[in-house]
Order: sequence, then C-alpha cells, then structure tokens
Amino acid sequence: MSKSQSQNIAHENAINHVTGNSVFINDILSNTQTLIGRVVYSKYAHAKILSYDISEAKKLKGVSAILTYKDIPGKNNFGPIVHDELCLAEDEVIFIGQAIFLIAAETEEICIEAEKLITIEYEKLDAIVDLETAIKKNNLIAPERKIEVGQAEVTFSKSKNKIEGRLYVGGQEHWYLETQSSLAITGENNEIIVHSSSQNPTETQILVAEVLGIQSKDVVVEVKRMGGAFGGKETQANHVACWSALLANHTKRPVKIHLFRDDDQKITGKRHRFIIDYKASYENNGKIDSVIVELNSDAGSATDLSMSILERSMLHADNSYFVPNMKIIGKAFKTNLPSNTAFRGFGGPQGMAAIETIIDRIARALKKDAAEIRFINYYGINKNNTTPYGQLIEYNQLQKIHEQILIKSEYLKRRKEVDSFNSENEFFKKGLAITPVKFGISFTTAFLNQAGALVHIYKDGSVQVNHGGTEMGQGLHTKIKQIAAAELGINIEKISIASTNTSKVPNTSPTAASSGTDINGMAVKNAMKKLKLRIAEIVLADFNSQNAKVISKIEDIIFENDQILDSKNPERKISFEDAVMKSYFGQVSLSATGFYKTPEIFFDRATGKGKPFHYFAYGMSVSEVIIDILTGYQKIIRTDIIHDAGKSINERIDLGQIEGGFVQGLGWCTTEELKYDKEGNLLNHSPDTYKIPSANDIPEIFNVELLKDAPNPNTIRQSKAIGEPPLMLAFSVWLAIKDAISAVGNHKIEPDFSLPATNEVILLSIENILSDMKK
Amino acid sequence: MKIFNKISFILGDEPIEIDFSKSELKPTTTVLNFLRSYPNFKGVKEGCGEGDCGACTIVLAELNENNKLHYYAVDSCLVFLPMIHGKQVLTVEHLAQKNGKETILHPVQKAIIENDATQCGYCTPGFAMSMFALYKNKFNPTKEIVIDSLAGNLCRCTGYKPLINAAIEACSNKTSDQFQIAENKTVLQLQKISEVQLPIIIEKNQQFFAKVFSLSDALKLKKLNPEAIFIGGATDTALRVTKKHEVIPSIIDISSIQNIKYFREEENYFVIGSGISLEDLKNKTENYLPAVHHILKVFGSKQIRNLATLGGNLGSASPIGDTLPMLIAHEAVIIVKSLQATRRIPINSFIKSYRKTAIQNSEIITEISVPIPDKESIIKSYKVSKRKDLDISTVSACFNLKFSKNKTVEKIILAFGGMAATPVKANSAEAYLIGKKWELENIKIAMELISKEFEPISDARASKEFRIISSKNLLLKFFNDLKMGEI
Ligand SMILES: Cc1cc2nc3c(=O)[nH]c(=O)nc-3n(C[C@H](O)[C@H](O)[C@H](O)COP(=O)(O)OP(=O)(O)OC[C@H]3O[C@@H](n4cnc5c(N)ncnc54)[C@H](O)[C@@H]3O)c2cc1C
Ligand code: FES
Ligand code: FES
Repeated sequence: MSKSQSQNIAHENAINHVTGNSVFINDILSNTQTLIGRVVYSKYAHAKILSYDISEAKKLKGVSAILTYKDIPGKNNFGPIVHDELCLAEDEVIFIGQAIFLIAAETEEICIEAEKLITIEYEKLDAIVDLETAIKKNNLIAPERKIEVGQAEVTFSKSKNKIEGRLYVGGQEHWYLETQSSLAITGENNEIIVHSSSQNPTETQILVAEVLGIQSKDVVVEVKRMGGAFGGKETQANHVACWSALLANHTKRPVKIHLFRDDDQKITGKRHRFIIDYKASYENNGKIDSVIVELNSDAGSATDLSMSILERSMLHADNSYFVPNMKIIGKAFKTNLPSNTAFRGFGGPQGMAAIETIIDRIARALKKDAAEIRFINYYGINKNNTTPYGQLIEYNQLQKIHEQILIKSEYLKRRKEVDSFNSENEFFKKGLAITPVKFGISFTTAFLNQAGALVHIYKDGSVQVNHGGTEMGQGLHTKIKQIAAAELGINIEKISIASTNTSKVPNTSPTAASSGTDINGMAVKNAMKKLKLRIAEIVLADFNSQNAKVISKIEDIIFENDQILDSKNPERKISFEDAVMKSYFGQVSLSATGFYKTPEIFFDRATGKGKPFHYFAYGMSVSEVIIDILTGYQKIIRTDIIHDAGKSINERIDLGQIEGGFVQGLGWCTTEELKYDKEGNLLNHSPDTYKIPSANDIPEIFNVELLKDAPNPNTIRQSKAIGEPPLMLAFSVWLAIKDAISAVGNHKIEPDFSLPATNEVILLSIENILSDMKK
Repeated sequence: MKIFNKISFILGDEPIEIDFSKSELKPTTTVLNFLRSYPNFKGVKEGCGEGDCGACTIVLAELNENNKLHYYAVDSCLVFLPMIHGKQVLTVEHLAQKNGKETILHPVQKAIIENDATQCGYCTPGFAMSMFALYKNKFNPTKEIVIDSLAGNLCRCTGYKPLINAAIEACSNKTSDQFQIAENKTVLQLQKISEVQLPIIIEKNQQFFAKVFSLSDALKLKKLNPEAIFIGGATDTALRVTKKHEVIPSIIDISSIQNIKYFREEENYFVIGSGISLEDLKNKTENYLPAVHHILKVFGSKQIRNLATLGGNLGSASPIGDTLPMLIAHEAVIIVKSLQATRRIPINSFIKSYRKTAIQNSEIITEISVPIPDKESIIKSYKVSKRKDLDISTVSACFNLKFSKNKTVEKIILAFGGMAATPVKANSAEAYLIGKKWELENIKIAMELISKEFEPISDARASKEFRIISSKNLLLKFFNDLKMGEI
C-alpha cells in the first residue's frame, strides 16, 4: 500500500505539537506595535448602569484606548441566529461577565492597572440565576417545541406500570486548554485581518463586519488551529474576535486578546443545564409503552444556539429505544447567566439522560438486569424502527454491538461477580452498567449542511488544500489530507492543508455537529474530481498522440502511486508532476473549488417530523465502578467500548476521538460541577475548584475498539462522523455508579440521583438509602 | 557583601545573566512570562496561571549533594524569576536536537507521536516535560508512578490513555540523551554560578526581592525589612501575583537555603527542615511516617510538590492545608527562630485563627519536629476531595490511636481539616472515646459527637452536610481499616 492510501497515520501536526512549534494565536509573533486587549465585565447578574468614569484609566501611561458601546462604529449586537446579544453593555447589564468596556494597552499589566481605575455605579435589579425560578416564572426565551408520536398521555394514564420523576442534569464548562483568543490587524481603508480561535470563521467574519459597520469583503478571518474547542468556540469565539477588532480598528494597531482562564470561565457560556420531568409506562416484561418528557433548559441571557440545542435534545430523547407513544416537550428559559452554548453532543446528552434513567428505573422496579430491558427496547431492524420524529432507522447496528459487547466485556459473568462482591462487602459497593448511543449526524438546521473547498495544484506538483473546516485537534486536517492524497493518488507529503481562511473558502458552516470530515471531505473530493478531469484530458491527449492505434479512454485514466495511467494499458503512464507541468503548458487551470451539500435532509419544526439526519452513529459501553460508601469516592475499574465509525478513514484518530470523548463525558457525569451563589456568581471559575478528569480518573482497564465491517453508504470513503457520539458512552459510568449506590439498599430502593454524580451526590444518596432502611 | 540586581542560570546549555536594573523584568515576573517573552520559547503555554493545568511545565535541573543533576518538573507559572538562579532551565524547545536539516526527537516526543497522545497540541509541551522529568528519574516506572507524574497536567482531548502509554513506553527503553552526554559540562556551569553564595538583592519599582543562601541572612534581611514575606516554594504566594494581580512589595526567597532541607531521625524525633520540598518529604517518609507519606501522595501534583515546602504549608495556615491535621495528630512541634531566640511551639498553639499563626514578625520556621510514634500508636490519614489527584481537600483527617493493656482507648487524637476556620480536633469525640472499648457501638456514638462538633461551611467544593457526613464517616473508615488489618 502506498503512503497515500495508508489509513493510519499520526495527526498531521504531531511533530510540531511535541516540539512546541505549533503556533496558537497567543504565539503568533506579531510586531512590537501590538497592543493587549482586555474586557471589563459586569459584576452583577442584573443591574442598571447609573454612571461610570473611565477618565482616570484613560490617562494611565501605556493605555491606548478604552471603548464603550458608544465607540462601536457599526451595530452593537451579535448573536448567531437571533441578534439578541450586545457587543458591549449600554445602560443595563444582564449577567455577570457581560462586557462593558474594552481596554487596549501596551501590556497586560497596564490593562489590569487601568481596569482598577474604572468606576461603575450600578443599581441592582432582580435577577433570575437558577433554572427552577425561571421555570416557575415561565421565563421562556422562545416558544416551546413539541415532538409527538402515538398517544402518550392516554397510554400513560391507562397503564398500571408507571414511573415518574425529575432529573437534574448539570452544565459543563468546555475547558479547552487554549482559552478564547484573537489577534486583529487592520490594513488599508476598512481592511482587517482577524486571527481567531473560532470554529466558525464565516460567522466571525460577518459579526466583525457588523460591529465595525463594514462589509464582509473587507474582513478576513483566519484560523490556523484551536487548542481545543468542543463547541465552546462555535459562537463564543465571536465575542473576543469582535472586541479585538473594535480595539484594532480604533487604535489602528494590532490588538491581541487572550482571555485569562478565570475570565474565560466566568464570561463564556457552558453546556446547558437541564431540569427534566419525565413519566413513563411499561409492559410487564419491561417494554416501554409510553414516555412523556419535558426538557427544560437554561439558555442563559441570550438565545445563542439554545433552540437548536434544545431541538437536538428532543431528537435524542429516544436515544436507541423504540417508544411507540412518546411526547417530547422542549422549553428553553432565559436566566441572568452567560448565554449557554454548543458543547460536544449539542443537547443530545441531556436528552438521552432522561430515557436512560427511565430504563434504569424500570429494571430496578422489575428486579431485572437493565441490560435486558435495554435490549428488548432497542429499535428493531425491520419493525419498530421509526423515530418519534418520523425518520426511518436504516443500517441499525444496535443488536450487533450489544451482542458483541456483552461477550467482549464478559458482562454476564461480571454481573454475578459484582453481585457477590456486594453481598460480601458492607462499605464498598460495585456497580455495572451497559449503555448505548445512537446519535444523529447532520446539522438539524438543514441549510448548514453544505461545505466548500478550494484546491490549488502548483507547478511543482505540490498541492494546497483549503476547505471550510477548522482544526481543533480532532484530526480533521489529517483526514482531509488523506482524502486528498487518496483522490489524487499522490504521496501525502505533497499535500498541505492551509489555515482556514474566509478569503479562500467563503460562506462556510461551523465545524460542528461532528460533520467536519463528512461535508468538507466531500467538498474536497468534488474539487479534486474537477482537477482530475482537467488533467486527465491533457494526459489522454498525450497518450493518444503517441500511438493512434491504441486509444485510451477518459474513464480508464486513474491516479495512483504518484502516477497517472491508463488502467487498460498500464504501460501508458506519466508521473503526476509531469502531468501537472503538461497541464500548465496546456493552459489548463490547476485550481478548482469544490462544493457539497448533504442530500435529502429536512425537518419541519411545526409538525416535529422529518428526516433531520443523514445517518446515525452507534456505540455502546460497559463500565464497572467501585464506590466507598463512607466518602462517596468512586473509581472506574473497567470500561469496554465498541463504537461504529463506519469504515474508518483513520483508526488512530477515531480511537483518539472515542477515548477523549468518553473521558470528557465521564467528567460531565462525575466531577465537573458548576455551582452559582445566590447573586449569580459562578463559584467554580478556575481549575482549582472546577475539576475535569485527570490521568488518574480514567478507567483502570480501558478497552476501546471500532465496530468491524460497518461501511457507511453515501459518505466520504464510507466513514462515519466521530466527534460527538462517544461523549455519551460515559452514561455507562454514571449508571454504574447508580447501580453501586442502589446495591447499598439491595436494589430495593430507588436512589436519589442526578448528574454529575459527584462524591457529594453519591454520599448524600447513600445516606438517604441508609435512613430509609432504618424506617 | 551582597550582589545587586543580577541572577544567573542556564537556559538549555546557554548561560543567561539577567540584570534587573537594565530590563523590563520584575522580580515577581514568572518564569512562564519570562520564557514566553522570547520569540522562540512559545512552546511553554499558559492554561490557568495557578498551577492546576501543567501546560506551563518546564524542567529544572539542580546540583544534588553528590554533584549530580537532579531533574524535576515545575509549573513555570508559579515560579518567580529569581528562584531559578543557579539552576538549569529546560523547556520543550530543548528536547529535540537539530542535526543539519534533520530533527532528532527525544524518546518522550517520539512516544507521544507514536501513541497518538497529542490532538490539539496545547497541553503537549507540558506533558512532554513531565514525561521528560520522569524519563530522567525512573527506569521502567509502574503505571502508578506514571500516573502520579502526569496527574499535574490536564488534557481535554486525548482522555490520557495514550499519554500514559507514551510515558511507559519512553521510560522502558532508555538510551542516554543529549542531556546526559552534556551532564559534566552543565554541572560545571552550575557549580560556577553557585560558587558565590551572597544574598542577591533586587530593588526595582518599589519592589524589594532578596534571595538568600543562609538562615542568618534571611533573618538579618527580615529585620531590615519587617514587611517582607518569606517564600519557600511560592506555590501559595505566586497566586497573589498571577490571580489577584497584587504587587507584593517585599519578598525574601529562602528556596536556596540548603541546610533547611532535610529529614532525619534524632533521638526521639523525626526532624524535618522547613525548606524540604513536599515531594522529597513524601519520598523520605515512606518507611518512617506512613500517614505523612500517604497524605503527601495526594497533595497537589508532582509539579506542586517539587516546589512547595512544609514551612510554606504551615506558613499559609490554611484550614484545608493538608499537612496540618497530620502534624496535629503526630503532636508535632514547630521550631521558629529569630536573630535572638529559638522557640518551640506545639502545633496546637501554632495555628491561632483563620490563616493566622503564632509566628512573630522577626521569626522564621526552621524545623518541624515530629515525635517518633511509639510502636503501639496507630496513625492514619485521609483526604476527601472531589477529584482524586490535584485537588484541595474538602475534608481531611489524621487520627492517632493507642490502646491500653486492657484494650481500651488510652489515647486518641482526631484531627480534621476543612471543618472550621482552622484545622481542628474533635474534642468531644476524643474525650468520649478515652477509656472506652474500641467497638462499633462506641464508634457510632463518637461519630454522632463529631457531627455535632463542627459548623463547616458550604462552598464551591461541597456543602456543609457533605462535610459533616464525611467527617464522621472517616472515623468509621478508620475503625474498618483497623479491623481489616490494613494498618
Ligand atoms: C495547584 C495547587 C495545588 C495545591 N494543592 C494543595 C494540597 O493538595 N494541599 C495543600 O495543603 N495545599 C495545596 N496547595 C497550597 C500550597 O501549595 C501549599 O500550601 C504549600 O505547602 C505552600 O508551600 P510553599 O513553600 O510553596 O509556600 P509559599 O508560597 O512559599 O509560602 C506560603 C506562606 O508561608 C510563609 N512561609 C513560607 N515558608 C516559611 C518559613 N520557613 N517560615 C515562615 N513562614 C514561611 C510565606 O511567607 C507565605 O505566607 C496547592 C497549591 C496549588 C497552587
Ligand atoms: S499555566 Fe496552568 S499550571 Fe501553569
Ligand atoms: S491534546 Fe488538546 S488538551 Fe491535550
């Protein structure tokens, strides 16, 4: 196999990463004129700004500018879909962390000095800083949504086996290692270049243009790479980009903003926390016959992507299970907190948490193993295979993965071992759980499912590929490089992926919804197709001119091993380089754009029906944990995962996405807790108290493999999207913890449980069980 | 005799001298910011500025007693520039070697690539340096040791498995690297710097910073600058600069006083120099003071423990300082010195109130002396925190128990952290248990007493209820551990 076809190459930037040569925005060597920007933000969740004084700060030596909303030349608002966010607060602030002033100064220290000299007089107003109050006050941010199938209410009320409850699901801080950053450099007239750590350069470009009051054509946004993003830079990188652009435009000097960690954690939105009310009924064997869920999400102070996220949670409220009668209500509430935003899974995890809880409770009520209840409720292959929103499930892999993982994880044997351990141990309990993931791939906002590419072949035969996707560590550029190399049949070393740049590929969609490779890969492929045809025609003419008796045909021309040849007459061949030169002299364009849109996707929000997803990705995991019932300490003994990546383009990268996604999900399910005080201050605003997993928190035994022989029809190289789905595999840990807690009461008492299951949640839940048992 | 405004160290193999009077740098500029101010040292990253993420990890090498190099990882965001005087500083930029156009990667770098242990790359330089420090210190480390060495670095992308594998792989087939080849030269360079051991005084923009090499210099300078604070590892103090943006007016850096870095046995005591790093103390107590060793294993991270000192943990007198309950349970005595006198302060009267100690302005902590526990004493320490590693305690405890001949409790100390404004003892439970049989019934009553004894707070870490339940449960845990013969 030639290097171009090789599946499993390392991350294309790995060498730069390990040597420290990779350039992030804060590392760009800008000139000595560069100023540091800083944002001054609200200390109140809701208040009137009565007056302020920035005059002393302005006088400080080294301060170049202090801007207020009055200094914004364009529109003072942004927001990705609904423009309901101010770039800088005017006379009222609506969350702690809301930007009021911008400072540009020679150094960060001077910025901090200047900030201390600014005074603001506030009048505190009533604020809603918790979701429960928002729900009570019905403070909806947009009309509620509904998806319904069958007769859920009627079925529920008639059924004799019922459960109901309320589930609290916490938010999550992205904790990308690289905080939000941007460097803006002005040019002639209105021109401005913004180096942004953004998943969505086109939107960043549009918003920079809007706040500056100029047109998109004057703004170039460039994204080399991000130090992690996870959805946190899908819309919220825009703020920092616009702030640096405003300061640069005002001072006519380059301005860099690199948020300090605490500021980043306080200012930016998180994964939405949810309060979910659920009701479900089931048959005697555990088959679900109705589910009614009300998904209430905390949107924060502005719409941002909240409605799309809510929609995705509604579309995942079924997870992998066929529910004949289901009613899903979705509500997003406005609170005085930073606007919550995209985060790997995009609402899917919250939606799934409820149905996973329902299954778990049914199993406990029936005194059966939850694995069994899951299995009988999975979507079927030929029947019971339509989702509540009417999409037919094709190429279902659930049964197959379930069977494989039970064997691989020795589930049944270990279930017995866990039970006997629990009967012998009073103070330590073990828990075991299997959970499935079925995750819909595509943007549910149908028009976003488009991508562009621009490919240049240079005279020396080297190739530069531009596409609309951004690299945030997920290996998108590596996969695109592989796709490009395979399409052109050339050595991968001849290809480079350029920084994502709005002047190369316009009007792109965010790199999100796990769709990066799917859509950009296709766009690159389509560009390659054009180029290959052009080159093939030249080559063909050349071949046929050599010997008129043998006629080569265009459809037989193939690109392989750095050569172009006639597959029927393999002695007719030319090196890729020579063909490129011939094409150049033949006055053929060696640059082409490519475009792709995902076929047949639609979703009608009014009826709640459609085919919102191109396909589904599947996976399952089995986790075993042990808990210390005296301290709430938990440890993951073992996790097994089988995940469906279709026909993987790069197994090494896909395994990395699965492991990383799982561990991120594990953090969300266990230690990552966001607490606010009554005033709306985030208490966990630094890694001192906000605890993402560390090396010691991952499963002691951690077996991950890809589902074999599972090509995905109709996608780039028959692969499947991989970014988001694995995060939800972590539910196996969450429910294994619940299983262990449940063992304290011999599985007779339904434990109080919420997400994340911190040591505190675990310990308090155990206390309740113990006191119930005394009664 | 003093040296003014100048410090010297080796950056890679290059000797560097900084003259503060001629540069923009301040004595409280962190090594992170200093390095990043160089165009070609952008590999050192800032991820948090508070010692919690490890993105800024660098490796320092210093001479040990045998004039060999001791390599250790630190968070450069917590190190003030003058603290690296006399040391070799290594960053990710130093790991690979250039051979003409070819780059020869260090084994740890190769292992990271081969194991797919880098995705976005932002954490990678820090991990590479933690692994490099491990590589220099351990051959074929166990998984536990590897995890301990990496627990001070956060990665949000990879899920750690490939990082752990990379470290194991790199350290299992070691070859001599360029640093080993250059060791003799580096040793000579460092010896040359440390020939002169005169106090270094940096005075600049209303900031005073003194680096001293002897206790007497420290005390003399303290007398002249009564408002000065001492820094041992600065892991507490640096946060005032990086997070609170304070300008600390006056600092005396005692991190280079070699003769306060010891752990040894003297008659009936283990005596511990206040300047010993907690990592060193952890290693040295393993066979002598297991409860101390146990709590230090989960203290901060390797990068933190390599800097932090016992004196600093006492000096910060935090209610959640992990060594304090342990010192209470061991009935330690704190030795403080001024130019005039030496005082021995029993630990119980050392902590006065919230973050206040009995040290007077003219005094410095020099030694902590721990009575050698008699064979019958059972001492065990516990830490409850949200995350296993690199997390400040929610509740911590150290218990010391001794039975009389008739199997009743002769003596018991139940010391807790995180339950009040200072580390405290559960007096009523202690009093109750004295003379009682060590039986579940009595333990349960003592647990009730513990739960009534304290009024802890609810905060970002946990609720009051959680603290109360876990504090009383720790006693039961102690009881169980004893029954299981785990002690
Ligand atoms: C990321 C991180 C994790 C941490 N984890 C933990 C943890 O798990 N458990 C825990 O208890 N703490 C933890 N800490 C807090 C801190 O590391 C410890 O308190 C440490 O022991 C402080 O030691 P130091 O030498 O670095 O202190 P320094 O900052 O040098 O000094 C702290 C204080 O003590 C005074 N002082 C220092 N030495 C002396 C002396 N010889 N005589 C008199 N006064 C002196 C100083 O003047 C100062 O007021 C953590 C800190 C960080 C940043
Ligand atoms: S920057 Fe996070 S530990 Fe130093
Ligand atoms: S590779 Fe992105 S944080 Fe580790």
